[in-house]
Amino acid sequence: MSWFDRFKGSAPPASPVGPAQQDFAGDPAQRASEWESALQHHRLPAFVKHRLGEAGSGKLPWIATMSPAELAQTHRYRVRPIAMVSGTCWYHYGYSWTNGHAAGWHTALRRLQQEAAAAGANAIVDVRMRKIDMELDSSMDFTLIGTAVRIEGMPPNPEPVVATVSALEFMRLLEAGIVPTGIAIGAHYEWLGSWQRNLDAKGGWVNQPLTTLGNFWERVRKQALLQLKQDAHAAGNGVLAHTHFGQLLKAEEGDSERYLGRHIVIGTVVDGERYRSVPHDIRHVVDMCDGVSPLCEQRPSSHNVYDTNQEEGSI
Amino acid sequence: MSDGTAIPQHALERLKGLRSEGHPGGIFTSDFSINEFLLVRKAGFEPVGLCVGSCIYHLGIQYANWSKNQEMDVLSQAMYHARELAMSRMRAEAEGMGADGIVGVELTVKRMEWDDKILEFIAIGTGVVHAKGHPGFKGYNGKPFTSDLSGQDFWTLLQAGYRPLEMVMGSCVYHVAHQGMFKALGNVGNNTELTNYSQALYDAREIAMERMQHEAIQVQAEGVVGVDLHEGSHNWQPHIIEFFAVGTAVTPITTERDASTIPDPQLVLSVNN
Repeated sequence: MSWFDRFKGSAPPASPVGPAQQDFAGDPAQRASEWESALQHHRLPAFVKHRLGEAGSGKLPWIATMSPAELAQTHRYRVRPIAMVSGTCWYHYGYSWTNGHAAGWHTALRRLQQEAAAAGANAIVDVRMRKIDMELDSSMDFTLIGTAVRIEGMPPNPEPVVATVSALEFMRLLEAGIVPTGIAIGAHYEWLGSWQRNLDAKGGWVNQPLTTLGNFWERVRKQALLQLKQDAHAAGNGVLAHTHFGQLLKAEEGDSERYLGRHIVIGTVVDGERYRSVPHDIRHVVDMCDGVSPLCEQRPSSHNVYDTNQEEGSI
Repeated sequence: MSDGTAIPQHALERLKGLRSEGHPGGIFTSDFSINEFLLVRKAGFEPVGLCVGSCIYHLGIQYANWSKNQEMDVLSQAMYHARELAMSRMRAEAEGMGADGIVGVELTVKRMEWDDKILEFIAIGTGVVHAKGHPGFKGYNGKPFTSDLSGQDFWTLLQAGYRPLEMVMGSCVYHVAHQGMFKALGNVGNNTELTNYSQALYDAREIAMERMQHEAIQVQAEGVVGVDLHEGSHNWQPHIIEFFAVGTAVTPITTERDASTIPDPQLVLSVNN
């Protein structure tokens, strides 16, 4: 007998236990096997599909990460929240940390879109990149969470656009004729071996640029940016690259030494007409608050799991 | 006061020291900031008092199967039950003071340093009443509503044509299976997805979400706003995580507000920084 049966009155409670939460969830073993085959065949388990479908048709309450202000603003444009959707991929990086990160995010992105499509959405807003602090076997989980929305009177999009911006910013962008459409990732790594001479300075007293190392590092960054562009190409005509993460590491083994350069760039892809601006007037205000003005205060960046290391990591 | 620029008579008299005697209606307490206080009043509500509910809970013991993805149902149940107790005690306080609802609820979990099996759950918020005694703002079944929205968000929510019903939540504590040594060695040089881990996170999150959604159905909500999903570990072994979904279930005030009546936002740019 499971503990759940106790609440049905079929057995006296052994200890004073409280109410359990109601579940749609079926048998754990069956759920596990459904998840397994779903991940294998790149689809969603039937019970998830059903729940999202019901939310899409209004039979279940909608779930939104939006604040009330965002709810009001999206209503103004007849944009309706449907459900909170997510995509997760736990990825192990064996031969390459860099490529592992790119692959992990790409998989999570595909799965996020899958859930939103099942809900009959046109877009996913407020998409945040997350990871859980659980370092296991040189692997990481790549998780994307957002709110699937539908625009009234518009047929569902089989590949919903992915907006890493909040619903408020999403509406401002739409007004300006710009659609944030996805996340683009550029990642590149390279090794620089010790057979290439002149890696380090020859003499301690001389000012000199380390050209080999410098060129190497520049190449790594440029490659990552090139990849970012290629990745964004299918989805839009611009990228707002908000995350840059680069590391130049030195590995010494006995006599030989090598350098590893790795760089990851992540950005929001936008697709918009050029030369069109915000339809609203902008008022200039002088905030007479002492200290940091709440108007200037930076919102915590919700879509950034890498601490940007440009300050200390840059050459 | 019809003229927004004049100081009300009541305030002037108080400033002159004419009305220093005790208020017949008693004194309210609240952890509102000034702006929250003003906006809650702007929304037509008055604070009546801080409502607190707390619960110190001993978590039962449950052993996970080392190599199995599974929900730790004893822990899930404990986390839910303890939060529910704290919330219901807070709600009882609100009922006692005749509040229509509780705004700005903060629900926190604290560890006790002397025992890792004991957690303290605290729910605290400000009870409010409708200034004109409008009965239509109570929560489900005539109980006080609860909401984790700030005073500012409360005002905005009413502006958007919705009212809060209840804070809804879903909890799932989950054990993520360890990988067998053999499997782990096989993966050493590979870039590959660890599907059993992915699966565990999916399952846990889905369960938490379903449970929250179910609570929303029970209070007959139209939707849930301001949802956040927390992943946390409360003194547990490294492979055990709690997924906790929480948000405010809302319902349209009467008929839904027409979209065209929602005002344009004003964009401002601060020119001093």
